[in-house]
Amino acid sequence: MAMMPKRVKYRKSQRGKVRGNAQRGNAVAMGEFGLQALEGGWLSAEAIEAGRITASNFIRGEGRLYIRVFPHKSVTAIPLETRMGKGKGEPEYWAAVVKPGTILYEVAGIPESAARECLARVAYKMPFKCRFVTRRPNV
Amino acid sequence: MVETVPLPTRPRDQFGSKNARRLRQQGLIPGVIYGHKEEVVAVVMSREDLDRVIRKAAHIVDVEYNGKTEKARVRELQWDHLGKEVLHVDLMRVSKDERIVIGIPVVLRGHAPGTSEGGVLDQPIHVLNVECPVLEIPEFIRVNIDHLGLGQAIHVKELTLPPGVVAKADPDAVVVHVKAHRVVEEAAAPAEGAAEPEVIKKAPKAGEEEE
Repeated sequence: MAMMPKRVKYRKSQRGKVRGNAQRGNAVAMGEFGLQALEGGWLSAEAIEAGRITASNFIRGEGRLYIRVFPHKSVTAIPLETRMGKGKGEPEYWAAVVKPGTILYEVAGIPESAARECLARVAYKMPFKCRFVTRRPNV
Repeated sequence: MVETVPLPTRPRDQFGSKNARRLRQQGLIPGVIYGHKEEVVAVVMSREDLDRVIRKAAHIVDVEYNGKTEKARVRELQWDHLGKEVLHVDLMRVSKDERIVIGIPVVLRGHAPGTSEGGVLDQPIHVLNVECPVLEIPEFIRVNIDHLGLGQAIHVKELTLPPGVVAKADPDAVVVHVKAHRVVEEAAAPAEGAAEPEVIKKAPKAGEEEE
């Protein structure tokens, strides 16, 4: 089941714009390897779930998967063949706002070659260009 | 022990993001030297020299500026949003007889038998904060996991640290453990109408009736 918030203050949110780059959540924090978004946009809960299933099927209990994004934003839509007006549409799906540089997934407990293949498969499900990253050097 | 790497720098008299960007375009990285209640010096260094420091994971550098050499600790590296380029370096003066608290990477060695029994190796602590003399900073902390079975853990207090090095973390914190693989049960599809989160409403004030 796709992720969504348990409780919200407002059901509908304004669209907003994805401005700037990720100033936080842009480094591998919990795992050893990560998948970094190189573009900004909305990542739907379904896409996050698709990536999770792909990675889980590849890892198969050997390593650990971390999902670093959460769909906090509701995206509304109006039904087809509806006249304009009559207010804002109903929530259609939930999405995470992703800025360039955001780490989307992290894996741990598997060798780098396996992590590369795993996250390459996940990247195929993502609506952005992504790249494989490792932990930053500890200096 | 981590070796000390020389880091030649020269004073910087241009400040601000515009000048910093121009310096980076020339292959230079802006930085600052501070500490020990001495003057704060804005410096600039070549990217190649800094890359050498990062590649060798040198925590302590011999920073050269204004014709003198001082020992300094690489306190902070500012990276760009993609983590490709270093934007700025903070260098903090240290003396040879000082003890500092610093994060040291934890490196696992061996193969945990617990993973063959269906467990998943999890390492909650990748970098351990330790207190040690400036000139005796360990390169990494090696943890042997050859004996780690399913459900077993290695805590901070069980680590073998080099002499003079003291862990500055909770002694009962788990460094690495093998835990049973959690089978995620696929949740049943939610009923129509239940697919929306609960909306938080303001509680009515006392004495105020809901209309």
